[in-house]
Amino acid sequence: MSTTITGRTQTITDLEAGAVLEERPRRKRRRRSPETGRPIGKRAEPFTIISYICVTLFGLFCLIPLWMIIAGSFTDETQLAKTGYSLWPAPFSTTAYQMLFTGGALATSYTASLFITIVGTALSLSCTASLAWVIARRLPRISRPLTIFAYIPMLFTGGLVPLYLLVTQVLSLNNSWFAVILPVMLAPFLIFVAVSFFRQLPEEILDSARIDGAGELRIFFQIVIPLSKPILAVLGLFYAVTYWNEWFMALLFISDPSLYPLQLTLQNLIANVTNAASLPGATAAQAAAPIYQLRFAMTVLTIAPILLAYPFAQRFFVKGLTLGATKG
Amino acid sequence: MQRSAAVAAPKRRKPTSRGTVGLLLLALPGVLWFLIFAYGPMAGLVVAFKDFNISQGIFGSAWNGLDNFKYFLASGDAPRIVLNTVFLNTLFLGASLLAGLLLALMLNEIRGHFYRRFMQSTIFFPYFVSPIIIAIILQVILSGVGGRGGLVNNLLSVVDLPQVNWYTEPGAWPWILTFVKVWQLGGYTSVIFLAAITSIPEEVYEAASIDGASRARMALSVTTPLLLPTMGILIVLGIGRIFFGDFATIYAIVGDNGTLFPTTDVIDTYVFRSLRTIGDFGTTAAIGLFQSVVGFVFVTAAVLVQRRVDRESSIL
Repeated sequence: MSTTITGRTQTITDLEAGAVLEERPRRKRRRRSPETGRPIGKRAEPFTIISYICVTLFGLFCLIPLWMIIAGSFTDETQLAKTGYSLWPAPFSTTAYQMLFTGGALATSYTASLFITIVGTALSLSCTASLAWVIARRLPRISRPLTIFAYIPMLFTGGLVPLYLLVTQVLSLNNSWFAVILPVMLAPFLIFVAVSFFRQLPEEILDSARIDGAGELRIFFQIVIPLSKPILAVLGLFYAVTYWNEWFMALLFISDPSLYPLQLTLQNLIANVTNAASLPGATAAQAAAPIYQLRFAMTVLTIAPILLAYPFAQRFFVKGLTLGATKG
Repeated sequence: MQRSAAVAAPKRRKPTSRGTVGLLLLALPGVLWFLIFAYGPMAGLVVAFKDFNISQGIFGSAWNGLDNFKYFLASGDAPRIVLNTVFLNTLFLGASLLAGLLLALMLNEIRGHFYRRFMQSTIFFPYFVSPIIIAIILQVILSGVGGRGGLVNNLLSVVDLPQVNWYTEPGAWPWILTFVKVWQLGGYTSVIFLAAITSIPEEVYEAASIDGASRARMALSVTTPLLLPTMGILIVLGIGRIFFGDFATIYAIVGDNGTLFPTTDVIDTYVFRSLRTIGDFGTTAAIGLFQSVVGFVFVTAAVLVQRRVDRESSIL
């Protein structure tokens, strides 16, 4: 199930993402007058007004929880101890951040998370792209069996226990960051997304390369890869978010706190309030440690990379999806 | 997708034998991964039929037939966790589809291009928030950081309602979790529906507008019926996964809080807990095998149904 748990969770989301890929291309989006197809100048109808209100409310519903975390991380501990949360950072305080930045645990967790995300994404991307290209290449007696080979794990998984035994007993990857990376390294569905993109590459370019005497490997590395940057960006984004948010594998296989990735450090904080006192800098004056504020600050720092990359990645994501989907 | 490409694309050139070797080298890392991490655990499922003992290893342990399965059934937990899994997944699926559909219909009404893009990105964002962070947020809302009220209770006290200690109220949790799922997936699902909406031909709306339909009428009688195929695919996919709970979210939120197990314990969390606390590999593997087999039946049925319904967007 761990493939259930992680791989599977990925599968459903990816399947849905696939639906986006599939639905988009049918027809070029025609400009409806201003976006919606209403004749310009007509007065807004009740449904439109209700829509504006509801969408805005749902948007707030999505943002307010995040805001509470950010506001809480800048609110003085005395206030937090009274209310338990905060909607406005008053009295303003950066004590928790100062403690986190001067202490060592944050750096350790960040190193772990960055290693898992960067190395993991690099491994995932290169394996996904190369396997997908071989499938997309339609080699007789090779591509078809490979397709089925990569498809079966989407239907049937071994489950948690065999995976646990594999990683701990057979591969002895306990307390290694690779125990977090390897079990979730390939998402079969993303392989198929890459395959369908590769199959739309113009055959003429590949043919002209062949006439110029380029070998298969050279074609892959020097032509296919550069032409596929948009889809690689989308796949990379998916994998990177998965790795950054991955904590279940870490929970299973990493027991040494000095190797904990961010998500696991954070989980430890919610599992046990007193753990917060053992956070950086708290050693000398445990009683004085702003534990509530520290939790919020730690949460903010955990989500910060995603939050910062999101406006940029979102655009790339949409662009890549459209490109990946516009085909003949 | 593949099928149309097959028709359109000219025949790929056959590689030379040296080229084939190169291509096989390219496929090698991926193939190895699948063998070890996807097919390896499948072989490891034999543990389900064994009296597993770490020192004797997977293949050295003695067979014990169906004892592991009997033990699981005898424990009396089976009906509860299976029912919880199916019930919660049905709730999650229904609620997130409904929210996604409504949001897509409403987003479609928004004229300002910038505002629409902005709102779409905003409601999509929770999809990228990790389960742990969701759990922290929920804790803040329901009980405050250190169990000091929390936002909901403070609102309740404003209107003079009694305070609720949410983390000891199992009855409320299916709905709380559904709420979380809508937060997490509502925007994401709406993106899928919106993509489908953009492919609805303009003429349909023009015709409706000539007939004097209001925007609300169009959303209800034009857009919604045309979204049914997309809805169908998403439902089928959801049913295919109905035996696989969203472990990460549920475990991050509920953890080992036993009070909430009656309503929140699903197969995945049960398996994980048995592995961690009891350490009974055989029984746990048996439950996992049971889940995989039933899940396989559902997923395969779902894929087959989906292929029948919509050959164009089938997965394989």
